[in-house]
Amino acid sequence: MPIEIPKDKWTGSIRAVTIGATSAEGGTRTKTVTVGGQTTMPYLQYEAMPSGDEAPNKPVIAIEIKSRKPEDWSPLLADVWGEAMADPAQWAKKAEEAGADLLVLALTVEDTPEDAVRIVKSVLSATGLPLIVWGPGQAEKDNELLVPVSEATNGEKIVLGICEDKNYRTIVATAMANGHLVQARAPMDVNLSKQLNILVSDMGIPKDRILMDPTTGALGYGIEYGYSVMERLRLAALQGDAMTQLPMIVTPGFEAWKTKEAKVGEGVPEAWGDWKARAINWETLTAMSLVESGADIVVLRHPESVKRVKDAIEELVTV
Amino acid sequence: MYIIGENIHIISEKVKEALAARDREFFMDLAVKQVEAGAKAIDINLGPRKKDWAEVFPWIVETVEAVVDVPLSIDTTNVDGMEAALKTIKKAQPILNSTSAEPERLEKIPLLAKKYNAKVIALTMKTEGIPVEADARVNIAVEALIPRMMEVELPMENLIIDPLVLTCSGCQQYCPHLIETVRTLQFAWDPAPNISVGLSNVSNAVPNENRPLINRVYLAMLMGVGLQMMIANPFDQLQNDVIRWIETKDTSHPLAAVYNKIADRITAGEEPQMEDFNLSDSEQAAIWKTTQILLNKVIYADSYLMN
Repeated sequence: MPIEIPKDKWTGSIRAVTIGATSAEGGTRTKTVTVGGQTTMPYLQYEAMPSGDEAPNKPVIAIEIKSRKPEDWSPLLADVWGEAMADPAQWAKKAEEAGADLLVLALTVEDTPEDAVRIVKSVLSATGLPLIVWGPGQAEKDNELLVPVSEATNGEKIVLGICEDKNYRTIVATAMANGHLVQARAPMDVNLSKQLNILVSDMGIPKDRILMDPTTGALGYGIEYGYSVMERLRLAALQGDAMTQLPMIVTPGFEAWKTKEAKVGEGVPEAWGDWKARAINWETLTAMSLVESGADIVVLRHPESVKRVKDAIEELVTV
Repeated sequence: MYIIGENIHIISEKVKEALAARDREFFMDLAVKQVEAGAKAIDINLGPRKKDWAEVFPWIVETVEAVVDVPLSIDTTNVDGMEAALKTIKKAQPILNSTSAEPERLEKIPLLAKKYNAKVIALTMKTEGIPVEADARVNIAVEALIPRMMEVELPMENLIIDPLVLTCSGCQQYCPHLIETVRTLQFAWDPAPNISVGLSNVSNAVPNENRPLINRVYLAMLMGVGLQMMIANPFDQLQNDVIRWIETKDTSHPLAAVYNKIADRITAGEEPQMEDFNLSDSEQAAIWKTTQILLNKVIYADSYLMN
């Protein structure tokens, strides 16, 4: 007996957002990345396919690098990136080789505005990948660094972040003035995510220049809350809520490498097994759970996790 | 609509100060004004008063009863304080606010109600919390609250079930369920139990400028399923207009017609439709958006009216 698989019909869709600009588009990137555009819940492409729609954009992987060698990262990450960690341009090249679709460059509180501009430019010269630039995460310092970076890279369509409810105006204003995008982060709450999207877009930035960051936890550390929030945002978007129809960026690398399971190699139960295998599993499983709940960009740290997540995404999008 | 006036509440700074000063005039004035504005009873919530309950509860009852004749709703978790108030009350049949299905409260409060011939508000809540689903709340009423009232032989007309309004800011999924709970509870027993809600809870944690609108739209929905009693602010003139429009089926001007339409849709088990509203009118557009929030169709955000 033939079984008919039920299909949902949605009225809304996720906005397609393009990061990076080639020379023809006013930038210097050799490739751009487009995310979003989905018209179904994650990986239910068959619901949309018969109408002749094209396959949706698949999730992409950003590798996170820092403007200065991070002292608090796991030795496992220092082992794999080696000397490159002390030179952002080198690190960017190695990240591209490791399979990154785009890069996150995180600035630090020690950077001056001149440092920040110089380092961002060196990374842009070292690779042709689209770029996301994060401030150090302190409102005043973020604004002090991101404004000159934004002006010095006019037209590159980089993503500036991270906008939060206490500090978004300056970042959004400079992104608008220089043709960039923004990343808007709210603390794992559908209402607050939507509220920030409203506030950011109310400043006049086009909605196809906003990525929403719903915040998440690592595997074993609240990932289920992050998962539910993302699922609910995606459902609302498909039901037609314009203020949730934005692609989602999440940071499983940052979250997973904070956990004891990934960070610590000594003084843990023997049953936990090999440290490196465990750490990479932690990052990969955190990332894949978020991919399954609708993440469009996952920001990772370890090249082996990048490889595994990439393979898994390929399998998911193969109809 | 039987409004239990909510304004004597310790959450208000003015009430807190007046209580500290034992300012009789303040409380007399606030009680009289609520009754003049249409309140049929006065809620008194001064907190548990763990240290001075023996003095405060009789004092406030005596103060308020000096100027109004309406029932007083004794709103506290302190059972001793509640009894001290009951002993002092001389005028109308009081209301105990409240019990729930939590064993200790369900044991004691109905006995007090029986002893002093008071009405009692019973919340559809167990020790584990408040269920989202309408059915589960009705079950608490039918399986725990009503049987306990029968056990202590409290007449059904003295029971007031409060199915617990929760805020659309954070508990949005509860809002449509509560509407269905109010609808169903009326058929849960014969005779039908009284039902009351704390209306303004629906807009807790919402920016002040949006609270009255959310309260009014929710009120229209709840009146659509037959709500006849609530704890609310009797001074809210627009809210009182909505009550009058729906009770008298007054559709003589556009806003009155819109609020009646919302109530009618809900009565019929339907959802308000976009064509019910003149969306070029900003006030009606805001009401439409609010219906979508309260029915959990669109995710709530503080700036949802800008969406």
